[in-house]
Amino acid sequence: MKQHPLCTDCEREVDVNGLPIPAGLKREWSAVETRRQFLGRSGKVLGWAALASLFGDAAIRGRAVGADAKSPVTSHGRDNLGLPHFAPKAKRAIYLFMSGGPPQVDLLDYKPNLASQYNKDMPDSVRGNQQLTGMTAGQSRFPIAPSHWAFKQYGQTGTWISDLLPYTAKMVDDLTIVKSTNTDAINHEPAIMFMNTGNMNPGKPCLGSWLAYGLGSMNDNLPTFIVLQTKTNPKENNQPVSSRLWSSGFLSSEYAGVGLRSGGDPVLYLADPDGIDREVRRKMLDAVEEINRQTQADVGDPETNARIAQYEMAFRMQASVPELTDLSKEPQSTWDLYGPDAKQAGSFAYNCLLARRMAERGVRFTQIYKRGWDVHGDVVGILPTLCAETDRASYALVTDLKRRGLLDDTLVVWAGEFGRTVYSQGGLSAENYGRDHHPRCFTTWMVGGGVRPGITYGETDDYSYNVVKDPVHARNFNATILACLGIDHNRLTYDFQGLDQRLTGPQPATVINGLLA
Amino acid sequence: MISAERTEGAERTRIKRSAWVWIGCASVLLAALPFLFRLDGHAHGDWLQFLGRFHPTLLHLPIGLIVLVPVLEVAGATRPALRDAADFVLRTALALALPTFALGYMLAYGAGDTGTTVSRHMWGAVVLCVGLMLCIVLRPGWVTREQAFVYPAVLSASVLALVWTGHQGGSMTHGSDYLTHYMPGPLRALIPFSGSKDAGGNSFYALHIHPVLDSKCASCHGSGSAKADLRVDSYDALMRGGKDGAVVVAGKPDASVLLARVTLQPGDPHFMPAEGRTPLTSEEISSIREWIRAGATATATSVPGVKFASEQAEPPPQPVGDYSSLMPQIQEMQHGLGAKLVPLSAKASDGLILRTVDVSSSFGDAQLAQFEKFAPYIVEAELARTAVTDASFDTLKTFTHLRALHLEGTAITGSNLTKIKSLSQLRYLNLSGTKVTAQSIEPVKKMSQLRNLYLFNTAAESEGSTARSTP
Repeated sequence: MKQHPLCTDCEREVDVNGLPIPAGLKREWSAVETRRQFLGRSGKVLGWAALASLFGDAAIRGRAVGADAKSPVTSHGRDNLGLPHFAPKAKRAIYLFMSGGPPQVDLLDYKPNLASQYNKDMPDSVRGNQQLTGMTAGQSRFPIAPSHWAFKQYGQTGTWISDLLPYTAKMVDDLTIVKSTNTDAINHEPAIMFMNTGNMNPGKPCLGSWLAYGLGSMNDNLPTFIVLQTKTNPKENNQPVSSRLWSSGFLSSEYAGVGLRSGGDPVLYLADPDGIDREVRRKMLDAVEEINRQTQADVGDPETNARIAQYEMAFRMQASVPELTDLSKEPQSTWDLYGPDAKQAGSFAYNCLLARRMAERGVRFTQIYKRGWDVHGDVVGILPTLCAETDRASYALVTDLKRRGLLDDTLVVWAGEFGRTVYSQGGLSAENYGRDHHPRCFTTWMVGGGVRPGITYGETDDYSYNVVKDPVHARNFNATILACLGIDHNRLTYDFQGLDQRLTGPQPATVINGLLA
Repeated sequence: MISAERTEGAERTRIKRSAWVWIGCASVLLAALPFLFRLDGHAHGDWLQFLGRFHPTLLHLPIGLIVLVPVLEVAGATRPALRDAADFVLRTALALALPTFALGYMLAYGAGDTGTTVSRHMWGAVVLCVGLMLCIVLRPGWVTREQAFVYPAVLSASVLALVWTGHQGGSMTHGSDYLTHYMPGPLRALIPFSGSKDAGGNSFYALHIHPVLDSKCASCHGSGSAKADLRVDSYDALMRGGKDGAVVVAGKPDASVLLARVTLQPGDPHFMPAEGRTPLTSEEISSIREWIRAGATATATSVPGVKFASEQAEPPPQPVGDYSSLMPQIQEMQHGLGAKLVPLSAKASDGLILRTVDVSSSFGDAQLAQFEKFAPYIVEAELARTAVTDASFDTLKTFTHLRALHLEGTAITGSNLTKIKSLSQLRYLNLSGTKVTAQSIEPVKKMSQLRNLYLFNTAAESEGSTARSTP
């Protein structure tokens, strides 16, 4: 076994990059090393068992198909994955996640017949055996609430779009609108987990992690998968989102999404403290890496490699992130397009602009979370705000990508975790209404590399309650996204807990060819 | 001697007069025929159709003979024997033209053809027959030089009438754009009326439904001839249907007669296209079916479930050769320069992407030149925001399989763009944010295979970046 560079009971005095290491620290290390020697060198079964329990689930962590634990620190064995499986249409993706569940009936799923049914009860036959949330289960009746807003036809395709989305309306001929998206869960946490990871329970890798793992990085100086959270608006009903949603699950944690903060420094403690220059930082990291490599050699835990990679990534991000977030060189045309909101760090428009800059710089997957769509009440009051925050910015992002020639190989997805009911939650008045969660159908859209522009896919019934044609289950939705990026969802797997795990789960999933270009 | 001449002259005058009478009668009869037996769009008996269908077998004989007449007349200037033959040929032509006309009329009347092309064809034939008869009568006067110009004029007019009539007939059988369909673009620009039948726009109907109906159905159900009172040569006419009602029921392919008729067994008497014309391909049928299912609109730009893999003559990407022996060099290059060659997919023949984003500021022409040895394997060059200059085109022109070239944000001026004209695979060129001008991009604008040209933030922006091509 190789001598550890900081080991004190070796013959020669070890010099680590000339750093002045205090004697106390060396003593402490020697104690650690003694335990390590006991466990590692004795090779006793008991010792390994103890280690296994210490490392928790990491010790029973599975290994990638073809992955090699001894591969270099970057591109961790994923060179052997044989990905993309086929020539991709999109190299990267931007996912605009409308957390909370946008009400499709008020935005994109036009139901002209509802106006005449105001305050009538929704037929039981339509509702069928659908489970209700605790919020409306006690309601004695389910009065139909037609949308407060008018719809008009736009574009060559004549697509009906709500007056709330005047900017989205301008790009309907480019969009692939999916009216028949549906999911299994009716409450936020399981539903948002399901959309992102293909499973309602936490612990599975999310779409972005699968992409980072499967396709790897395009830019070594930026994370492969970046998450941007939009600052919440206290007027809105903000459901929490957590880092579980961009977790890498059982995949190595280097594939987890890296969140940029919406205010202040995008990454905390990214700048070196006073008195520490880049040279010193480099030396420190070199020393830490050497220690970590030794640990990796001793213990063989792949998470050590992940740690090394993350330190290195952070070092490179010290240079790349300030450049990424420096908007001072954006031309006036950018601000004209994105609107004044884009100057506010943390706004949805600002995040969309960052997403475009990340696409230019080779970030594989950017996910922007916009919370607040959970309009259980006061739809008339809140929805215009939500749309004002997102409509122009979404349009600006797509248009910006398009004019810069990036939309050809970037897939943009706009989706929430479920839809909302056509019947009113709480009191229905002539002026206002609320809408409860609805998993059976919701409207999403995609645009860009791989998808077929100018179509509306799938149909819902007259109450926007059930899918009547071409359903797109969340599982198939994800399989289709993977297909745009050149991935066969059945072949991007990871052996964990005795199962070839995949984003779409163990149940069969199909790519929706009708959505593909 | 004198009296003999006079007698001969009187004899000729008499013959001529009776000939005029005959011609007059025949002409009136021909011209009256369409009014006696109106082409009213109804079929009239199998016998007529049976005989009428010999029209196409016969018609080429008189055509050949009529065309031969002026040839003989001109050639007869030096070889008088030929000119003697001309009269015989002319009479034979008429003798064949009249039955051809009769059969043609039987065909139209029997099958119930109507439409502008049919009537043009018919009236052209009437004019032609009358012209031929006039030629026969006028020719002796030309031979004796009594009237030097009348016969040539009438003969020329007859030949023109022949061409025009023949074209109308051809349009009925083969479709009106048969001749111009494969006309090369530059030639097409010279002929204003050709291709005017496009439905226009980039809707699914205009791109995939109209062309099929126009080429395979419109010869019988179009402006020329509208059998069963059905026209499919415009969206409105198609949706209006024929004498038996609508043929397209939006959203219901199974209820749409149009689809039913083209999907019958080919031997079925109701199978369309009738009369042994080219049937629709299964792809064409399925796109019509999906189009109807999706609502049969004139405006939707695409329809779920229909894909056109290589439409609009978009050739499949050319596979690159085997570069496995170069792998060590490729890896070495990556370590040395920091720029990577990344496989596009697991399929090696999909080629490599040249990726420079990690080292963009230090990646210049000299670095690019080192990739020349991998030139035929590189299908995409990501050179955005690198330090490459116009000199890079000397290297890039060797990237024979290049399909996408990113040069956005570089210092190129485009003065050398003409060097990459030979990149026959290039589909995507991004020059956004460069110093190119309207003038310097001229060479690439002429690259017909280039689908996407991006000029955002350049002096040439007003030239218009090509939008994403519709699928």
